[in-house]
Amino acid sequence: MTTQVLICDDSSFARKQMARALPDNWDIKVHYAENGVEALDQIRQGHGEILFLDLNMPVMDGYQTLEGIRNEDLPTMPIVVSGDIQPEAMDRVKKLGALEFIKKPVDGHLIGQILNNYGISFEDEVSKTVEVEIDGYDLDDSYKELANVAMGRAADLLARLLKAFVIMPIPNVKHLGIKELEMALDNVKADDSISAVCQGFIGAGVAGEALLIFNESSYTDIAELMRFEGEIDEAAQLELLMDISSVLCNACLNGIANQLDINFSLGHPMVIGQHIHFDDILKGAASTWKELLTIEMGYQIENKNINCDLLLLITEDSIDTLNERVSYLLE
Amino acid sequence: MESGQVNIKDIHWLMDMLQSIDVGLVVLDKDYNVLVWNSFMENHSGIGPAIIKDKNLFDMCPTIPQNWFRQKAESVFLLKSSTFTVWEQRPYLFEFKNYRPITGSAEFMYQNITLIPLLSADNQVRHVGVLIYDVTDIAVSKIKLKEANTKLESLSKTDHLTQLNNRGAWEQQLEKEFKRSNRADHICSVVMFDIDHFKKVNDTYGHQAGDEVIRRTSALLQETMRLTDIAGRYGGEEFGVILVDTNAENALIFTERLRQRIEAETVEFDKFKINYTVSLGVAEISKDCETYQQWLERADKALYVCKETGRNRSEVYKE
Repeated sequence: MTTQVLICDDSSFARKQMARALPDNWDIKVHYAENGVEALDQIRQGHGEILFLDLNMPVMDGYQTLEGIRNEDLPTMPIVVSGDIQPEAMDRVKKLGALEFIKKPVDGHLIGQILNNYGISFEDEVSKTVEVEIDGYDLDDSYKELANVAMGRAADLLARLLKAFVIMPIPNVKHLGIKELEMALDNVKADDSISAVCQGFIGAGVAGEALLIFNESSYTDIAELMRFEGEIDEAAQLELLMDISSVLCNACLNGIANQLDINFSLGHPMVIGQHIHFDDILKGAASTWKELLTIEMGYQIENKNINCDLLLLITEDSIDTLNERVSYLLE
Repeated sequence: MESGQVNIKDIHWLMDMLQSIDVGLVVLDKDYNVLVWNSFMENHSGIGPAIIKDKNLFDMCPTIPQNWFRQKAESVFLLKSSTFTVWEQRPYLFEFKNYRPITGSAEFMYQNITLIPLLSADNQVRHVGVLIYDVTDIAVSKIKLKEANTKLESLSKTDHLTQLNNRGAWEQQLEKEFKRSNRADHICSVVMFDIDHFKKVNDTYGHQAGDEVIRRTSALLQETMRLTDIAGRYGGEEFGVILVDTNAENALIFTERLRQRIEAETVEFDKFKINYTVSLGVAEISKDCETYQQWLERADKALYVCKETGRNRSEVYKE
């Protein structure tokens, strides 16, 4: 009998990745949803005997979807597929009724095993009825998904460093000239007092900079979480800034490099300034890039006034290589 | 580098490279015992690898800030993630002399540090690699640049003749004080004053004598005011003073004291003995003033009254 499988993810790229990872010889019909509201609707129609559910989505996120399923007692087997890999996120979804928690990027072999564990076998089935349209996907969507997985790893490390839950929003992808870079940031306002650190990376034809922008109103809470004793003066702020940027830049860049199967060389981080505004960052910049790929990843800590932004800037001449590498992710 | 690419006989020259590279390389285990210590480390510290091998780093190099370093290294072990520190945080980890002890301008070597997790075959991190980069030249030029900028900034705000704030800088302070007082309901007064018949001083004794009179006036002003008051040279022979936390009545005590000191002063220049006087106008900050310019204008009006009524006097602004 044909099994109804529902893939719920806001990223079209991630939906395709997921569909590709499903076992070949399994008699299923695949349905898609872009957020929790759509997913609940599909399940009510009987389209979601098995649900692969992303956590970070607009409109209704994965947590709320699980609550919805439980409240209505909907007939589905929810399996969470998430870039957010904090242990706390796993605990929370298990408590909300998720059967399994799979880390992105999804691994077909692992999915087969998990399905087997739930008594679903497909060894003997002959036909695969999955119809997946692979050709054509939104490139920005693919960068978003790439960043989503990378920032999930970074968030996991940050959470362990701070022993707190990191709220992971959806990465923000834009194409901007160097002069309009302030538009890359939705979370930082022009008159916010910030500290900034940047770190260059290069490898396999992909180059750029990771820019960590730290809202200075965050220092009090960060110092508390890091059990920092003493006065939070300028020197102390610099210590905290470097600790956070080391973890976030590193984990995020490694996360991206891993997915693309390349190795980045990382330059030593440079402190751009303390108590500055965003437009000070580019004051000394000599570059004239007409277009940069910018990916903003805002990190917040639950119940704390901590706001920091990791901005990835990727040069125009990296885009072709990047696109090629990204396309391998669907194979 | 993948180990598969390296022949056992190549290890020799690979080690040679690690030895001679001009970057400090140290490998530590979880107890901070030293396993690798390359030539850079040996030559700058004076401690040979045979001596430090398997010894505790903190015992052998007691000047290392132990708690600080431990905290950084622990996070590398725990998170399996590299950590970076820059010289701005701490000028150095190892107390080494400047590489150029003769022509260099720093006494010690500024260092950037990278701590990297070293994975064992079982995917565990039992060792941490420490890379020490000499960034003395970068650090020194950055520090000098900052000093030069600070000096330039101060030069651009200072009046050359009197070393008081120049007009631009003083007006900026006035605006700041105006906003601050308005916001916090602080009392504050501004004084405008000038030297009576200054043109006559210049014409009679020469411009150099005039400069000396201005310099002396500025010196007397600085002796009379408090440290927190802000003085500036507003124009040729015109001065302004911001008297913080001072009402008009007390400002008048100040202006009278200054006026009398100047009246009693004799400037000797060449063979001349020059006596001169000043006139001063005072205005207390008021809610009626919408801008700092209006406030300043009131002091100017009070000054004008002094001029009209015989000079060598001070007056408080009245509606």
